[in-house]
Formats: sequence, structure tokens, C-alpha cells
Amino acid sequence: MTHTTLNYASIENPKSRHLPPPPGFSIASVTKSYEALKERRAWDFAVGPAKQLPMQAFMLYMSGGGVQIFSIGIVFMLLFSPFKNIAGINAAFAQFAPGTAPSPSRAQTFTTLPLQKLAYIACNIATLALGLWKCRSMGLLPTGSGDWLAFEPRGVAPEMSLL
Amino acid sequence: MRWPWLFIGLAAVARALHESEAGIIDWHKSFIGVPNIASISTAPSFHAQQGRPPAEALLITSTASNVLAALHASDGSIAWRYIYEPDDNIVYYKRNQSTIVSLSGPGGATLRIFECSTGHLLAETRLHKPAEGLLQDPSDFGTAVAFAEGEGDAYVLTNNHVVRRVDAAGDVQWTWMSPDQTALVAYSCLIATPSALYVVGLAKSFASYTLHITALSPTLGTPLVDAHIPSSIATGPTDLLIFTSPPSVVWLENGAAHRVQLEPSLKEKPGKLSGREYVSVVDVGLESSFVGVLPDGSASVISLTESGANLWTFPESGSSDRYTDSVFVGAKDGQGRPYIARVFWSNEWGKASAHVYAPHLAGGLVSGFTFPFQTLSHGTIVHAAVHVAYVKETDLLPYVVLTTSTGTIELWQGDRMQWTREEGLSRVRMAEMIELPERLSEGGQKDRAKEGFVERVLRHAVDAQHLPQYLAHFFTRFATGSYESAASPVLPSEPDTLTRDPFGFRKIIVAATDLGTLYALDSRTGTVLWKKLLSDGSNEDSLHPEPTALVLPAKLFVLRTAAEGGPEVVLVAQRKMANGPVDTVVFHVEAVRGRDKVGKLKEGAILKGEEVIQGAAIESFLVDAQSRFVLFLDQFRQVYIYPNTEDSRSDLASLLPSLHVPLRTGTPGSAQITGHTLQPALGFDGRALAQPSWTTSLSPGESILSIVKRPQDPIASPGRVLGNRTTLYKLLSPHLFAVTSSSSSSCSIRVLDGVKGSVMYHAVLPTGRGESFPGREGSCDVKAIFVENWLVYIYWDPEGTGLGEAKGQRIVSVEFYEGQGPDDKIGSEGLSSFVPDALRVSMFERAFVFPHRVSAITTTRTTFGVTSKDLIVANEADQIQSFPRVLLNPRRTHGKPTAEQQEEMLVPYDPLVPDDPRRIVSHRYRIANVHGIVTSPALLESTSLVFAYGLDLFGSRVAPSKTFDVLSESFNKAQLVLTVAGLAVAIIVAKPAVGRKRLRERWYRP
Repeated sequence: MTHTTLNYASIENPKSRHLPPPPGFSIASVTKSYEALKERRAWDFAVGPAKQLPMQAFMLYMSGGGVQIFSIGIVFMLLFSPFKNIAGINAAFAQFAPGTAPSPSRAQTFTTLPLQKLAYIACNIATLALGLWKCRSMGLLPTGSGDWLAFEPRGVAPEMSLL
Repeated sequence: MRWPWLFIGLAAVARALHESEAGIIDWHKSFIGVPNIASISTAPSFHAQQGRPPAEALLITSTASNVLAALHASDGSIAWRYIYEPDDNIVYYKRNQSTIVSLSGPGGATLRIFECSTGHLLAETRLHKPAEGLLQDPSDFGTAVAFAEGEGDAYVLTNNHVVRRVDAAGDVQWTWMSPDQTALVAYSCLIATPSALYVVGLAKSFASYTLHITALSPTLGTPLVDAHIPSSIATGPTDLLIFTSPPSVVWLENGAAHRVQLEPSLKEKPGKLSGREYVSVVDVGLESSFVGVLPDGSASVISLTESGANLWTFPESGSSDRYTDSVFVGAKDGQGRPYIARVFWSNEWGKASAHVYAPHLAGGLVSGFTFPFQTLSHGTIVHAAVHVAYVKETDLLPYVVLTTSTGTIELWQGDRMQWTREEGLSRVRMAEMIELPERLSEGGQKDRAKEGFVERVLRHAVDAQHLPQYLAHFFTRFATGSYESAASPVLPSEPDTLTRDPFGFRKIIVAATDLGTLYALDSRTGTVLWKKLLSDGSNEDSLHPEPTALVLPAKLFVLRTAAEGGPEVVLVAQRKMANGPVDTVVFHVEAVRGRDKVGKLKEGAILKGEEVIQGAAIESFLVDAQSRFVLFLDQFRQVYIYPNTEDSRSDLASLLPSLHVPLRTGTPGSAQITGHTLQPALGFDGRALAQPSWTTSLSPGESILSIVKRPQDPIASPGRVLGNRTTLYKLLSPHLFAVTSSSSSSCSIRVLDGVKGSVMYHAVLPTGRGESFPGREGSCDVKAIFVENWLVYIYWDPEGTGLGEAKGQRIVSVEFYEGQGPDDKIGSEGLSSFVPDALRVSMFERAFVFPHRVSAITTTRTTFGVTSKDLIVANEADQIQSFPRVLLNPRRTHGKPTAEQQEEMLVPYDPLVPDDPRRIVSHRYRIANVHGIVTSPALLESTSLVFAYGLDLFGSRVAPSKTFDVLSESFNKAQLVLTVAGLAVAIIVAKPAVGRKRLRERWYRP
């Protein structure tokens, strides 16, 4: 019985990659505009959460003040997505890393695109704040003394009276 | 709708007892009370219709609980009963073939006529105002009833000088009053004959009494003759007997029986009846016979004839230590022939014995039999009633109804007991509900605490053989859904074992009566589990415990719970000797089986008391420290403890500096509450001594009605959270208690701190006026209950001061909170009373109109205190009713509640607490004269057990916030199981198909 094997290795290094550029094409200018594009896209991405805020606020308004499945769903989304976003911040911004980056691994560090990332974090915090505000208006934030009543220490009186 | 949220708020609380639950989760037992045997005119007697079978006979009696009742002789059930008001005590009853005439109140103020067989009240007449009644001792002296022949009319003697003829409708035909009321003649008996009505009385002369008889015209009531009979009666009315055939009066004079025959002119001369000497004469309620007791104790039956008397003596009836003193009773059969019975206890045989003498049979036949009366559990025989139903030539076979010293009524026919009634249960003074131990698996009966590792492994290995059974049971139970629900009756798996049911609905009610008995009842059904006699110190080892002292229960404590290795209770009682001295004794009982812990674990015997103090205890308390013990204070305020073990002594020594004891002090009429601290070794014999530290300033003339202490139940939450999530912290200082007091002009209620004596709350209430409580002017009818930080009291408001205000019952609900407002916290639960902060207290208070007068009040209690506490009251309509806490919230809003108040579920204030018939826990039962309600937590947090005692007993359970912790009855278990099973089948079927589809998709991806 003969075995047929597929040579995938030949796909990884196509010959077209080593073809010379067409005439009049400067690789440097293309790279430069490409970098500017990436930076603009990175800024767009960073302020993306902020742009969604009015829409989310409207949805919150529409979902009402009661504790129901819709309002809870939206509030959960608002509360969890900022953390999810911030946790995946480096991966999310890796695609916008400048081509000058020394290595793909460096693209995953916080120091690449720091300003955009800070803006992104700020926007996410704004989303979180919106979620918390909603929580508060629904009475879900444990802010009152009544919310901590069960944890309050209860003493034993030093005297003992027989009644 | 104007207040829609009101209905939202009420929807949660509107929960009625379902019809299907009635009689399943609750029970009630009706009683008539302990027969009043002090006089023959109130004691039990048989009523039989002529020509009817004996089983249809009725036993008629008036009782110490102020009830006139008839019992079926066939089974002892209540045919009817009529409950008199407490201030209208029955002094006399008399029956003829169809009616019963009763006199009640001071001097016989009220006359009532009842139909014998049904108990229907035919007539009720006020003969004189109760205030004009002469209080007599004995209470039936000076009252009498005699029936006029054939006409249904009755002659009534009241107040020892007024005679009336009353017809069947209760209307007075004529009245005759003794012309000289100030004179020393006090009439006590009536003899009705067709020609004259004789009113027999005693006139007081120097050293003795003289017989005085007045003859009245039966139709007009005019006096015919008035005569002093020359006589000298030393002791008074007890030595005077009257007879109707022939009409005559017999009295005892210098040990000899004298008799005078009566005829309208009263010319007959008195004469000596027989040559014998008598110590006393006993009225047995017959027309011509009585019993005379001779100096040697033997009893003669004397039957009067026209000319003289026949005499017959009971054989072997002289005083002897082989048998006790006898009870004599007379009876008549259907033909009206007399029988006289002698009932006594034979020490020789260890049985009771009855001898019935029939003068007309075979020239005087005595029929005797013995019967196994249980003297160790029922005490001694104090009264007997006899009904001779089947008369044979040589045998009488009478029904004998015994009344015992512990309030039991028993019917014996020959040596067979037909039925027994525990009327002592109508005299319950205090009760506790005690949790049952869990059911232990087989072989686990011995003490597990001492079990070693190897034994334990072995036990588990042995237990493992039951695993297949258990699994089979588990799956059938799961599949069929046959769980116990909260509404199902608690049926024991094994009827003879006393173990806890899954929800803890089954408890033992230990109840102490003032007849010197201790009962244990099953809380599911009210059946008596055991009954123990409390020893009075002299009769512990006797086989026939004759009571020589009164044992009155004072306090009942649970010394050990089921979880601590078998429930045990301690009853603190005062033992009052007949000659005066009072001792404090303790009865220590294992609650499940009633085993004595003081004596040597003798089962079925009398409970032996341990004398703790030779003298009265002024108070006793349960101290719950490392060990649990009872602390007593004697009259000199010295400290005693029980059990007096090393543990409790060292516990007391370590607790002593921190103990504070508020006590009632002062004389009656000017009472005070005085706080005491305990000083070690200041008393006699090195005992600790209570020294006063503070005292209240009650005004002179004020007396203390009750001390209301808070139950030591777990408190789920230390605060009440408001709508804006701030907290009102509850005032939970463990030292607070409430005191109700009365003076001539006002009643008051105070909340005091038991350590420092600070008055936290004080309200002055009006007294009940005369028109609302006749004869109880200036009385205070204040009922209060205090739980957590919530004080509720109900009182009678005699009159509003303003226009449009009405008199009525008021309920005031007070809640105490720490500090001045929300979030102002002082930590009162653990705060010393001496810290200034302890007085920074605020309260909310609101009064409502309450629909009923109540005789007992309590709140529900649950295991963790999470469930809201309903108020449970016994109302004047003889019902047990619950009122939701929501409606009694003192923070109910004025007007429409705001959003925050709505969030708190506050209901707008309404002055009237609605009388919701759906919340009557006792539904259609009549639970008469309740004077105490005990509530106790079940294992289910939602449910609280209720036990009410008084004349009747009632047990039920309530769930103030519905049974939130069990699935409802309507839950479709089958649907759930089928859905889950269907889904499981679908998964099993679909799984291979889906797998194949996935594989195919891999291969043939487009």
C-alpha cells in the first residue's frame, strides 16, 4: 500500500513572495501611509467604547429601572465588557502595532501604542461607570448600612440579668 | 382604586387556613373542668330518662371551671356544656325529669333553666343584683331549689332569706322575703309538698343554732306558720338534712339524730331518731335515706319511714388501716327506688371497691365488687356517682363514676373501665413545648459519645446492610413525589417511638396543673403520652398516695434539649402543707418517657420532688451558661441552685459578679421592682445573697400585675433596613422587660432595664370602668407581649375624651430603636447598661382600635427568627386568632407611601386593625377560657407551633409568611420528573445521530 503525503511546506514559501515590485512602486512611501493608517485606526479603536456610550445609555433608559432580565443583561454587559476589554488590550492593539516594531512579541506589550491604550482604558472605565450608575439607580450597589447589616459584629453584654 | 398598593401589601399577608388542612394540622380538646364536689348540690349525678337504655344516661355536673355540663354515660363525650362568666359562679343546680335549674353568682343572683337532654337554655332570670348577694361560705349555703309537683314550676331560695316561685319560662310568680332580715335566721333548705312549702333555716342562738321552719302557701307565697323547733345544732348547716318522703328534717344534736316531721301546721314534735350515736351525717341526695357515721367509723344507712326509721350498717366499714375512708353516694333507678353505695380503696387488695346497698331487694341486698383503679396515676377517689341500670335479683351491676383528686373522671362497670376523662387538663397552669430527639438507627440507642473509632466503623458497616432498602425507598419516594408536605398530617413511621418528624412538627407538650400533676401531650394530636403525680413529700412510696399537701407549680424550665442528649424538664413547685409551711421543691423529669431523674428512674411511679429550699422561693430563673441550672432566691434573698453540681457551682461563682436580678418587692398594694446584685458568701451557710441596687418609683398604692419578659430567641437581623438602605438599629439590650401595674385610678406599663433600672418607656392607661366590667371597677385589663424590640399591649379604653371617640379595645405597638434615627448605632446588644449611650433610644409608637378583648397574647416563634412574627391572641369569642405584624407596624405611613416607603412594604395607617375571619387559627372550634398560649419553633423556619390552654386545649401550627421553605401542595412533581426524564431520553437518542452528522459534515464540507 502506497502512502500519499501532501507537502504543505511548499505553501509556506511561495515563489511569488520574492518577485520584484512593479515599476514606480516605492515600498517606503507605502509603508509610511500604512503606518499612519494603522495609527488612525488605533485611535478609532481606542475611543470606540466612548462612541457606544450614548447608545448604551439610551438602551439603559429604555430597559427601565426595575430589576428584570433585560436590564440585568445590559448591566452585566456594561460591567463585564470593560474588564474583558482591558484584559485583552494588548492582543486587541497588536494588529495596530507599528511596523517598526522590533518583533511580533514586542507588539504585545503595553509600551506599544501607550497613548491609545490609555485612552482605551479611560473609555472602558467610562462604560463601567455607566454600568455602575445604572446599578446604583436600580439599588444594586451595596452602599447603605443596610447592605452590610448581616456582617456587623454583635457583642455580648457584659452584665447578665435574670428575668 | 384609590389605594391599590394597600392590596398589594395585604395580598402577601392574606392567608387563610385551607379547608383541607382543618382538623389535620390542628386539634382541640373540650373539657368541662374538674367536678365541683364540695357540695352535693354541685357534684356529679346521673340523669336517666325512665324507660331508656342506660347508655343514654347523662352524667350532669357543675365544675370548678364554672361549667354546667352533661357527659354521655356511654362514652364520656360531652353532650352539652354551658360556660358561666367568671364572676357568675355556679352555686347550686337541681334537676327534675326534663329540666335543670341552676343558681349562680353571689347568693344565687341568676337563675337559669336548661333542658336536660340538649342543654338548651330555656330561661334566664336575674333574681337580685350580684352586688346585693351575700357571699356565703360554703357558696351554696342559703340557696336551694325545689320543684313543685307536676307543674314545671320551681321554688327558689336565694340569699338565705328570699323565696320565689318561678315558672318554666323563668318568670317569678310570687316572692316571699323573710320579714326580719336582720334577725339571725338564715334559711338554707326548701321542702316542697302540695299543701305547703317549708323553708328550713337555722337561727343563731348562744352556743349553737336552733332549727327554724316557715311554711308558705305554694300558690300565693303567703306565710302559713312560722315555728322555732326546740333544738341545739352545734356545727351549723352540715348537720342539717331534709327529706321529702315523708317530709321531714333531720339534724344531729349532741351526737344523736333528731327528726321532725313536717305538716302545714308545724305542730309535730321533734323526736330522737334512734338510740345510736353519730359523729356526722352524710347527705346522699335521696328522698328518705341518709348515712350516719358511727364513732368507730362504720356507716349506717338510715331510711326514714312514716313512723320511725330503718337502720342498716355497712359490714366492715369501721375505721381501719386496711381500707381508706369511704365515699357515700345515693342513686335511684328507673322506678325511683333508692340505692346507697360506698366506694373506698382497699389497701389490702390494692384495688378500689364499691358496695351498693339496695334496701328493697331481698330484704336489703349488698352487691360488692372490686375494680383495678389506677391510684398511682390518678390519685385518690374523692367522689363517686352511681347509676343502677340493670337490676337483677342478686346483682346490681351499677355504673360507678369516680372523680379523683387529680381531676380524672372514670366510669366503671364492674371491674371494666368504660371510659376516662382527664379533666385535670382544664387546670393547666404552665406548659412548655419540647423538641423530640431524632430517631436513632438500630443499635445506636447507647451513648454515642463514648463510642470508639473501631466501634463506630463497625456500626457503620452493620448499618450498610440497609443501603439497598434505603436506595429503593429513596428512588420510589423521588419518583412518586410522596414527600411529607407542610400541610400533611404528621404520622409517625413507628407509632410507638417518640421521635422527631422531618419538619419538627411533633413535639412534647409538658404541662403542669394546679392539681399536682404533670402531663405530657403529643403536639400533633393532643393525646396524653404520660401523666405523673407530683409527690407531696409524704406519699412517694405509698401504693395509695393520699395527698397531704398542695403542690402548686411555679415555673417550668427546659434543663436539657433533645440535641444535648435527651430532653429534660425541671418543674419548680411550692409545696403547701395543710398546716401552713411552704417548701420549694423541684421535679426533674426526662420528657420523652416521663422518667424521674430525682428518684431512681422508676417508671410509672410518682415523681419524687427534691426539696431545694425549706421555705418559699420568691423567684427562680434558668441560668444558661456553660452548664444550665436553675437559680432560686428564698425569702431572705439567698441563692440556691439546682442541680447542685460542681459544674453549676463553678459556673455560678464565675457569673456571680455580673448577675443582676430585678425582683418584685414591697407589700401588695404598694409594690416596687427592686434590682439586686448578688454578693458571694454573705448569706447563711456561705450562700450568695442578693443585695438591692436600685428600685423603681411606682406611686404608692400601685400594684404589679405582670412582668413581661422577652423570649430568648435568636434574632435574625439587628436592624430594620429602610427604603433608602439606611438602617434603624433595633434596641436589643438583653436586660429589657416590661411591667404592667395598676393603681386605683390608672394602669400603666413600663419598660425597664433590669441592670440599671432605667425606665425606657412609660405609658399611663385608663382603668376599666364599672359598666364594662361589672364588679371589677378600676380593674386593669392590660395584656402585653415583648419580643425583640417590639412591645405590644392591648387595653380597654373606657371612653374617648373627644367628640366622636368611642370606647373599645386599643392595641398599641411600640418599636424601640437605637440612637436618634437611621444609622445611629450604639450596639445595644453588647452594651453595658451603665454606659451613657445605653439611654440614647428612640421609639415609634402607634395605637390602633382592636376588634376583640383578649385573654391571652403571644407572638409566633421560629427557629432562626427570620419569619415575621404574627401576633396570636385568644379573643373573647373563644377563638385563637392571628394578626399580621405588617398591620401592627408603628411606622405605617400617613397618607400615600412614598417610593422608598413602598419599597419597605409599609401600609398606610388605618385606625382599625381589621378582624379578618380567615386568620382565625381555631376556625370553627370553640376554645373556651384560654388563659395561656405557648408558641414554639418547628424545624421549618416558616412554621411555628401553637398550643393554647385554658378550659379547652388547642394545638395547631401557623406560617406567618406562608410555608416558603417547602414546595407548595400544588407543585407538579410528576411534570418535573417527566420533563427531566424526557430530556434525558432525547439526549440519549439524539447523541449518536448528532455524532454521525458531525462526522459527515467534516468529510463533505462544501
